[in-house]
Amino acid sequence: MKYSAAKVCTMIIVTATILSACGTQTTDRAVLLAVEDDPTISFRLCFYVGSQCDPEGKEGLAALTATMMSGGATTVRSYEEILEELYPMAASYGFSVDKEMSVLTGRVHIDNLEEYYPLLLDAVLRPGFTDADFNRLKTNMINGIEKSLRYSDDEELAKAALYNFIYEGTPYGYLNAGRLSSLNNITLDDVRDFHRTWFTRDNVVVGLGGSYEPSLLKRLMEDLHTLPESATEPPSPPTPVDINGLELLVVEKQCDATAISFGFPIQVLRGDEDFWALALFNSWFGEHRNSSSHLYQIIREARGMNYGDYSYIEIFPNGGRRQMPAPNNARRQQLFEVWIRPVQHEHRHFVLRAAMRELKNIVDNGMTEEQFNLTKKFLHKYVLQYATTTSDRLGYAIDSKFYGIRGDYIELLRSRISKLTLEQVNDAIRRHIQYENMKIAMVTQDAESLIEAFVTNAPSPVTYSTPIPSEILAEDEEIAVFPLPFYRENIRVVAVDDMFE
Amino acid sequence: MKIFIQIILIVCIIGGSSMANTDGKGIFPYRTHVEVLDNGLTIIMIPMSSGGLMTYYSIVRTGSRDEYEAGKTGFAHFFEHMMFRGTKNYPANVYDRMVIEMGANANAYTTDDLTAYHLSFASEDIETVVALESDRFQHLSYEEGPFQTEAGAVYGEYRKNRTNPWEVMTEALRRTAFKTHTYGHTTIGFEADIKVMPTLYEYSKEFFSRYYRPENVVLLLVGDFDTENAMTLIRKYYGGWERGYRPPDVQQEAPQTKERRFNDIYDGRTLPLLVVAYKGRRLDPGDRTMVAGLMLGDLLFGETSDIYRKLVLNEQKVQFISAGFGLNRDPGLWSIYSMVKESKDIQYVIDEIDRTVEHFATTLVSQTDLDKLKRRLKYSFLMNLDTPNKVAGRLARPIAITGGIDVVNELYAMYDSITPEDIQLATQTWLTPQRRTIGTVTGRQQP
Repeated sequence: MKYSAAKVCTMIIVTATILSACGTQTTDRAVLLAVEDDPTISFRLCFYVGSQCDPEGKEGLAALTATMMSGGATTVRSYEEILEELYPMAASYGFSVDKEMSVLTGRVHIDNLEEYYPLLLDAVLRPGFTDADFNRLKTNMINGIEKSLRYSDDEELAKAALYNFIYEGTPYGYLNAGRLSSLNNITLDDVRDFHRTWFTRDNVVVGLGGSYEPSLLKRLMEDLHTLPESATEPPSPPTPVDINGLELLVVEKQCDATAISFGFPIQVLRGDEDFWALALFNSWFGEHRNSSSHLYQIIREARGMNYGDYSYIEIFPNGGRRQMPAPNNARRQQLFEVWIRPVQHEHRHFVLRAAMRELKNIVDNGMTEEQFNLTKKFLHKYVLQYATTTSDRLGYAIDSKFYGIRGDYIELLRSRISKLTLEQVNDAIRRHIQYENMKIAMVTQDAESLIEAFVTNAPSPVTYSTPIPSEILAEDEEIAVFPLPFYRENIRVVAVDDMFE
Repeated sequence: MKIFIQIILIVCIIGGSSMANTDGKGIFPYRTHVEVLDNGLTIIMIPMSSGGLMTYYSIVRTGSRDEYEAGKTGFAHFFEHMMFRGTKNYPANVYDRMVIEMGANANAYTTDDLTAYHLSFASEDIETVVALESDRFQHLSYEEGPFQTEAGAVYGEYRKNRTNPWEVMTEALRRTAFKTHTYGHTTIGFEADIKVMPTLYEYSKEFFSRYYRPENVVLLLVGDFDTENAMTLIRKYYGGWERGYRPPDVQQEAPQTKERRFNDIYDGRTLPLLVVAYKGRRLDPGDRTMVAGLMLGDLLFGETSDIYRKLVLNEQKVQFISAGFGLNRDPGLWSIYSMVKESKDIQYVIDEIDRTVEHFATTLVSQTDLDKLKRRLKYSFLMNLDTPNKVAGRLARPIAITGGIDVVNELYAMYDSITPEDIQLATQTWLTPQRRTIGTVTGRQQP
């Protein structure tokens, strides 16, 4: 019983459209990763349906439908029976729903495959959609927004506020879980209709990995073929409205610290020519949860003002819990985003200035040769850690299919980064990153004093109770008066109780 | 399912150190090499194929449990931050730069029983990692200024945590459940103690000198690497590390004699949180009743339990109910958590928990249900060993608590031998009203 996760390419070809020679194999309908010594089987069933497909007034329908499929009864078994059967296998399955895709992820030890497989497939093919599950899961979703997101996680609240602000008026412009008002409008018949419309046989890509037998893929494809055909096209990609100057959304609530997120839409997707250069820039500027992040060095390391500061060129859900990016949030529209972890209220103006000043510096001056070389070296090995499990690698391969990337994304990322020049990176920064038109979301209290300070560009000096090097203090003087042109007409205050209505 | 332990101890003397191999016939599927240097440093090596990556854990068997002095709560965690502040050989910026150049994923965490420093990196960089890690564990050196700045970052972490009502609950729970033992405070520490951290520069050096010693540290290496080469490097770089560990004066908690209660307020809004926490027993894989106790959480309150079916699925009175019956060096807490939808139902949920405990204390669990749980424990363990990081992450705690890796096979072998009678006895022994603390946290403003 000795396992090792050796990479063994025992290949199964369903159609002839092979995009990769080794590792994951991508066909028209499937992404495969045979790993002979992995004692488990990983499934990822990716349906091209997400919150962008919610009908108007029924926002949250995609999420509720998927949640009912994986967290409720089937026509074959009650939910209690399903839990009962999964329990001894220590296995589970669950949907994740983003704007454009909903992915059913499951994993089981090979010993238990025969017992597990029908449970997983019934969730897709034969969901029960019972009244009891509907009430339970809808209430959970409403509580998740109304009680948890609004009141017990200010970092996630600031991020959600920023995304809704940036994509306002587009099919990306609300939580994947919907709106409180629309969730209450959804009926069980809506869920059934949505499942029939979107969970169709030609709208799914199968991800299968681990030590599976070739016959499993055939069985899976045949079973999924019993789903109906699609009759609906997804909506066009969103077109976010232009941002004029600095636009601020203050979510006002009583809280101990201020959470800040800011950003703007970018026109670069994974696989685009400038993507690789921006990936290098972003890693240097704000690699997620890594002390190599420049913003982290400026705000946390040198000044101890918060717990961490990062940036992104692709959506990164669950940043507070994940160290590495989760796959299967592929989108046709992405954003540049900066995440400032909570700071003391008295530092909120200063820290925003410090982050914006760093952004301006890099846009105006570009990266230096030294920064460029170091980041290149870092990323070449670090990206190997993005996807270490069979399931994550399958997820990345599904995303590559979405973006039309040939071959293994991580390998491609390494190879493209190794070929980059400093000039290419700085050109890409100039083309896509800017600091003048920005949407900013802040979760904080006493909004009026914040706004007054912002619109008057009041200096925001800080003091430290601990000794700080003189060069940092000298820089602080510049930061404290760094101009941020805010205008009252570009500032909106929303009470937390009114968020996500 | 049959699990049997067969640990072959090949004790041999290699350059003054002892070495043991386990042959992989217990539940743990990988071959394990264990070696102890003359200075007491234990090295556990687990080679596995992993695409050229490996994980390197330095496990310090000191966590917030060891903060026995007044006013020093949170110090183990704070000190973890200081370990990134460099040495004379490798000042912080040089250390950071080298870690960046390796593309390593480097981080650390602190819990009640341990502090772990971990790096994942390409195996070709092993010598650099051994050199860097051995250096900071022996020669850490920082000025008072950066020390004080770091205290600010810790306070920031505290503030981040306080926006989560569960953190409020954990602090109140520990404070109520323990009167003398250091489990009475959270790992982040009390706010008052965090505020004075900047004044404790001298103490920080004392802390390092007491606890960052080879006898109190275990190295855990997992992934694609050559064990002989690794040992050669470790002997070279850690061989001169001097002994000097001074155990903390942790006062054991007197037996609890009656039920305790607390009701705390969270500044924001939240659905009411409920915890019912019983005093457990320290990890001892040879103690049947202790091991049966660990199984109670899942058996009585897991997703297939009657109470879960009733409260979550049928009556839908709670958002969830779950149990955390964990491993600790000293007797810790075995807790049942719930998020109740309406305050008026809190007592009802407590009554249901009582009914569940009463049932298992008076009725033998069916062999079928017990077998399902055993199967679950086995697969839950086996399915989470697929990357070096996950293997090391899974093992760090039992290794920190016991100082070795044998505990893993021993524990799972004991799970396999537990009978319905053991479960009943464990329920009667551990889940009694006088051993427990019941607590609630409600939002200042009611939703």
